[in-house]
Amino acid sequence: MTSTLVTDPVIDELVAICGPDNVFADRSSRVNRARVPAPFPVHRWAEHVPDVVVLPTTAEQVSEVVKLANRHRIPVVPRAGGTGLTDGAVPLRHGIVVDVKLMNKILEIDLDDRTVTVQPGINMLKLNEELQQYGVIYPDDPASYPCSLVGGRIGTSGWSLIGGRYGHTRDLVISFQIVLPTGELIWVGDGGGRKVRKSSTGYQLKHLFMGHQGTLGIVTEAVLELVPRPEAEFAAFFSYPDYETAWRSTGALAKSGLATLAGVVLFDEWKLDYLRRDDEAYIPQPDDVRCVVATAMYGTTDEVRPGAKRLMRIGKDTGGAYLGDEISQGDWASRHDRYATPLHGRLRDGQVVPMSWHCEDASINWSQLPQVRREWHEIVARLGDNFRIFDDWGMFAYTNAAFKPWGDYLTEIDVGIWEQELDDAAWDAWVTAKRDIAAVAIAHGGSISACHGACRAGEVDLVPEELGGGWDVMKKVKRVLDPLNIMNPGKYLLDEAYE
Amino acid sequence: MIGFRLSAERPPDPRRINDVVVQRLDHVYEVDPELMRDHIQQHDFPAWDTRRIVDSRWEHLAWMHAHWADSVVSGEELISTEE
Ligand SMILES: Cc1cc2nc3c(=O)[nH]c(=O)nc-3n(C[C@H](O)[C@H](O)[C@H](O)COP(=O)(O)OP(=O)(O)OC[C@H]3O[C@@H](n4cnc5c(N)ncnc54)[C@H](O)[C@@H]3O)c2cc1C
Repeated sequence: MTSTLVTDPVIDELVAICGPDNVFADRSSRVNRARVPAPFPVHRWAEHVPDVVVLPTTAEQVSEVVKLANRHRIPVVPRAGGTGLTDGAVPLRHGIVVDVKLMNKILEIDLDDRTVTVQPGINMLKLNEELQQYGVIYPDDPASYPCSLVGGRIGTSGWSLIGGRYGHTRDLVISFQIVLPTGELIWVGDGGGRKVRKSSTGYQLKHLFMGHQGTLGIVTEAVLELVPRPEAEFAAFFSYPDYETAWRSTGALAKSGLATLAGVVLFDEWKLDYLRRDDEAYIPQPDDVRCVVATAMYGTTDEVRPGAKRLMRIGKDTGGAYLGDEISQGDWASRHDRYATPLHGRLRDGQVVPMSWHCEDASINWSQLPQVRREWHEIVARLGDNFRIFDDWGMFAYTNAAFKPWGDYLTEIDVGIWEQELDDAAWDAWVTAKRDIAAVAIAHGGSISACHGACRAGEVDLVPEELGGGWDVMKKVKRVLDPLNIMNPGKYLLDEAYE
Repeated sequence: MIGFRLSAERPPDPRRINDVVVQRLDHVYEVDPELMRDHIQQHDFPAWDTRRIVDSRWEHLAWMHAHWADSVVSGEELISTEE
């Protein structure tokens, strides 16, 4: 199923803008850009196939494509790595997908003012491979580090595993160029200077144009922060006999004042049960390993070594047992793979079935973690009672604040889903569960999403409730900047802005 | 010269580790094949291929450490110097 707006003359215009090699109307190019790795109603794949895919190479081409879309009233959806977990890059209304992957150049490395200027299609791992020779690094480190791209990081306002030391995407992107929904090109940052980190001039537009999931434009260039490449890395994983003790230890780490502490992760008992059956690091662990707290530090050797000593003491004093170098170092180095690798889950009778990973994420204050954990597992258990295709893979809670390891936690519950078996009834139950999970987050004073965004069926229904009066402002902004609802229509309930 | 022999690459019989896991090669855990009876098709896997995957995995982890920092501080070493 496609829309009828993208006619042959429109494709000719796109070819004139992007060149004949960068416009794709064939089936596989389009079908492959219909979905993202979040569970997808595979039985309804055809509903999300774009009409045409373009891979522009310059900001001007992107701008011309968006202007054309306005003239013909065709939806436009930006797509970077396609790893987003809230369906941001899924073209709900077909139209044109602007895939930014060919815009992957490093434009400038400025070692004086400590910035790197890039196009949005570059991946952080590839960027850092290039930066290594200069002794600097761009420390945006999501679990999707090897596969997500800078454009998508800005589009989602992503979260980084080591944000407790270095900040998250919004802190690490200094300024960027964006094509507005009507096609004009502007720069936004803190004030006007492209490499300025702090300004009081005017409105703070950088934040407005981050995390909008492609509903307010397409980023075409970005100036990123460079930090000194760490001399030393330290990772320590501690086991605890129960959740309460493990959770309290994260409170002690938060108060430690250790400046090199980059992240703390709390694994709950369900996560341990899941890992114990399928993960080589945890299979041999004794039964009294019920919860785990993982920590990581980065910095100069002179800072990390003494800090690590202090951290080891805190682990011990809070009742933790060090799990050893092999697990600590190996598991930390696996932080980008653990999610994508479990290609199977279990039915309740223990039989293995192909399952894909999905994760619901929320920002939850530390004090609320135990209660949220209880309520979320109950929701997923009910889901599993009614449909055998869902498997509770446990919860992680990660430090969520920028530059500090306290306050709130990115809290995620991982659910295995046997996608091939999805039908309308199971899909509806899944969407209801997502809504319930989001409701718990709000009820406990949290936010529906810490990193993925909240524009997907289920949780999106509660966005107006979470944002309150801010939701009306959001709709007004959308309508003013995108009068024809061209940019990624159907997302975030923003059609309401045009009613 | 003796060439490649599949029979020599047949992994040893599995040893049970727990209710759901078996082990044939050192440090390599496998899902109990009994649990992959109904919905997953299985195929023979020569030992060299399992070793290759495990070795590449270690290489990858070492690469990831070196990608992020010049050195890795050892917790075990810190504990031993503390005592
Ligand atoms: C295994 C795995 C682990 C993950 N771990 C993390 C994690 O630790 N932290 C985290 O934050 N996320 C994580 N995610 C989610 C995902 O990787 C992030 O949301 C990431 O920021 C998406 O980047 P992407 O390049 O894949 O973007 P896409 O999925 O292509 O796009 C994401 C959104 O941004 C919009 N967009 C894309 N390009 C542009 C552009 N140039 N201008 C404006 N908007 C644009 C899209 O329309 C879409 O709405 C994970 C995902 C997976 C699969």
